[in-house]
Amino acid sequence: MSASTETTIALNEGVTEALSREAATARSAGEPEWMRERRVHAFDVYARTPMPTRRLEEWRYTDLGEKLDLASLSLGTRSEVADDPSAWPAGVRATMEEDWDAAAHVVLIDGTVVHVDLDEALAGKGVVVTSLRDAVNDEETWEDAKQYLATQAVKPERGKFAALNCALYLDGVYVYVPRGVHVDLPVRVTRWISTSAAAHFDRALILAGETSKVTYIDEVLSDDLDTHTFASNAIEVIAKDGASVQFVQMQRLGRNVFAHSQQRTLAHRDATANTLNVALGATTSRVDLNAQMLGPGSSSEMLGLYFGDGDQHFDHNTSQDHVSPHAFSDLLYKGALDGDAKAVFRGIIRVHPKAQQSDAYQTNRNLLLSETASADTLPNLEIAADDVKCSHGATVGQLDEESLFYLMSRGIPQEKAERLVVMGFLGEILLKVSLGGVIEKITREIERKLAHV
Amino acid sequence: MPQNETVQDLQLDEYKYGFVDEEQHVFRTQPGLSEEVVRQISANKDEPAWMLDFRLKALEVYESKPMPTWGGDLSTLQETLDEIYFYVRPQDKMERSWDDVPANIKETFEKLGIPEAEQKVLAGVGAQYESEMVYHSLKQEWEDKGVIFDSIEDGLKNHPELFRKYFGTVIPTADNKFSAMNSAVWSGGSFVYIPPGVELETPLQAYFRVNQERMGQFERTLIIAGEGSRAHYIEGCTAPVYSTESFHSGVIEIVVEKGAHFRYTTIQNWSNNMYNLVTQRALVHEGATMEWLDGNLGSKLTMKYPSCYLIGEGAHGNILSIAYAGDGQHQDTGGKIIHAAPNTTSSIVSKSISKGTGRSSYRGLLQVHDGARNAKSNVECDALLIDENAKTDTYPYIEIDEKTAHIGHEATVSKVGDEQLFYLMSRGMSEEEAMALIVRGFIEPIAKLLPLEYAVELNRLIELEMEGSVG
Repeated sequence: MSASTETTIALNEGVTEALSREAATARSAGEPEWMRERRVHAFDVYARTPMPTRRLEEWRYTDLGEKLDLASLSLGTRSEVADDPSAWPAGVRATMEEDWDAAAHVVLIDGTVVHVDLDEALAGKGVVVTSLRDAVNDEETWEDAKQYLATQAVKPERGKFAALNCALYLDGVYVYVPRGVHVDLPVRVTRWISTSAAAHFDRALILAGETSKVTYIDEVLSDDLDTHTFASNAIEVIAKDGASVQFVQMQRLGRNVFAHSQQRTLAHRDATANTLNVALGATTSRVDLNAQMLGPGSSSEMLGLYFGDGDQHFDHNTSQDHVSPHAFSDLLYKGALDGDAKAVFRGIIRVHPKAQQSDAYQTNRNLLLSETASADTLPNLEIAADDVKCSHGATVGQLDEESLFYLMSRGIPQEKAERLVVMGFLGEILLKVSLGGVIEKITREIERKLAHV
Repeated sequence: MPQNETVQDLQLDEYKYGFVDEEQHVFRTQPGLSEEVVRQISANKDEPAWMLDFRLKALEVYESKPMPTWGGDLSTLQETLDEIYFYVRPQDKMERSWDDVPANIKETFEKLGIPEAEQKVLAGVGAQYESEMVYHSLKQEWEDKGVIFDSIEDGLKNHPELFRKYFGTVIPTADNKFSAMNSAVWSGGSFVYIPPGVELETPLQAYFRVNQERMGQFERTLIIAGEGSRAHYIEGCTAPVYSTESFHSGVIEIVVEKGAHFRYTTIQNWSNNMYNLVTQRALVHEGATMEWLDGNLGSKLTMKYPSCYLIGEGAHGNILSIAYAGDGQHQDTGGKIIHAAPNTTSSIVSKSISKGTGRSSYRGLLQVHDGARNAKSNVECDALLIDENAKTDTYPYIEIDEKTAHIGHEATVSKVGDEQLFYLMSRGMSEEEAMALIVRGFIEPIAKLLPLEYAVELNRLIELEMEGSVG
């Protein structure tokens, strides 16, 4: 087969009536010209990029042909829900009851920002938490948005889905923390999906100025939906020199959702960009996370936790790029799988030439709780500098018999003992995160899932 | 350890097997690969019709498969393949005594120390020169016990039923592009049969030499280790250094029957202009053990992943891999273990050293099939980097479909510690000696599993390669 035929086949793959160049142009209504150009360019990248298949290393264990049906989807539209809690879905109100401890709240419904509040003192210090659409349209903030939105972190050239999100995102969250400002309480974002048979696109840009500090908790959830629905999200974290950003995503979407989150953290000199990704919901959940250690002394702690049951399919695709010397990254992803659930972990540490004195670690551990659960894990290393400390590890196994035996010998019934051991296994991740509300929510959800074991 | 003596032994930082013999052959095909070439090889070997069919079908499969885009850089391989000779017949028949081997070829093997080793430590020796085995012999006592150790061609001729029962069953033609290529043009290699219950006390050895410039060698080995038998097979390979590229693509099929124990050792020391793309696989039956000991020191690019298919309950697979990548070399090696039966166990230990602009990659697959209850496996990879331009990669694929599996993978990457060097140098060693000692310590877990002579040889090779690595 000649190269030109292959290109023809690939061309416009995934372009449907709903996901079209016209749709990208329509999305830019009211936006400045540069944003319109950016969307159209992104759509062109999407259209010319072939749909990933299992022949691609990064999609080896997730078959998009089987899991995602773009042609069945309409494009998500603006939600008309009012900025009034009584008008919000009950699930949003319920989860936000525990979110009182916050510097800011943002609520999105089907990708539309319906509520923003920000601590006044922080606003006085120049902190901005707003809808991405407003940030792009407001001349006071658009310079930064123009410089960073989909240009350095999750840019269209990252791949077909990064391009699609940039072309079609409806709205999102913009966070800016000025130099030296510490935002001590978290920014809490609740994203709710209610319309099924649709493709929803949103994103967030988190800009932390020099030596500033901010925590961002992103909770995405829905009820179980009646048909196939696509929820795409892009997260861009830019931590400037000496800044410290903690990003947490809790995915508790309902069944029938294909959740795709593409995240990239850029840590400049002495900056810290930590992440925690928790996957509990959705039918298919895919997270692409790339951590860039761009400046000397930068660091990134990357945590992940998942619990799959039924026919859930979780795919975590992570990478740690050590571009500068003297940087540190440490990844730990742990998951338990019950029912017919399947977990995929593909991680790679890349130590680039000249990135001497890199410290990079990567560990993935899986617990199989049922006969039909499965786990594929690929912890990769590519090292091109010699003065480094790197290690990785992966395990797949069942519940530790000795721990079980110990608990049961103390009179704890087997079922309860098993749950305790699973909680203990996953708890290692939660112990590393001291965030009010987060641990409780995750623990409750895992316990609910375990009750069915 | 008499450090100073061994260091004096270091001659030059040259490839010591790079000498060239005068080129003499009785027949060779046109350069490149075509149906005509395949027919000529088959006719030259006076094969049965089914084998010609097998070859021609394999050629079709080869042509239909795309060139791999993973692993090493194969972007200019096609140009090399268009220019090489796929079959070169060095003499008319295979000999059973060194005295009958033509003088120039015999001299080559004498320089490599083969006849001497045969006397001392081996149960049998096979020697391949270009495309054909030129020498094969087995000590009488093993022949009396029914052991067969022959060239693959004589295996087909003299034991047609046994041959046909197993040939191509462990590695199907279509397994990969290069197994298909080998199936089309194979020539040379060994046919080994160890009868049930026979335990060979000393190893069998096959030695592969490519002398001709622009040459492709495609040996094919088929080994059947009968129930409860025990044996060790060693292969070694070298070639002269030419400015053009050469190609080697072997297929090694091994059947380890119930309760048998088989070890296959490779000391691959091809010259640095050789593409070495090899498929090696063993089917391991109930309670049997297969060990691959894979040492890759030479070649320009090696892509080789010895595999164990654990298909019988309680089968055990063991892969020990050591790779050394010097300037311009890429060793893309590792291993595959498939747990397809209950209570199977396996372990992979990989050690690699990258020096200069060398790159060593570990690529492994560990698979536990649903129903392979209580499978246990552990993989350990350690990489040592000796220069700031050296590269190392680790790509372990782990696919688990069985709850009761117990699987672990660990890897570390390190450089030779300044502290270790300082310590040894403070005891009066030169930097070079200290470095060689540290590297020897690093590979020691693997070297100690080799018969003494080979362990010494491996150490010497590493020392030769280490020469000039510091300062």
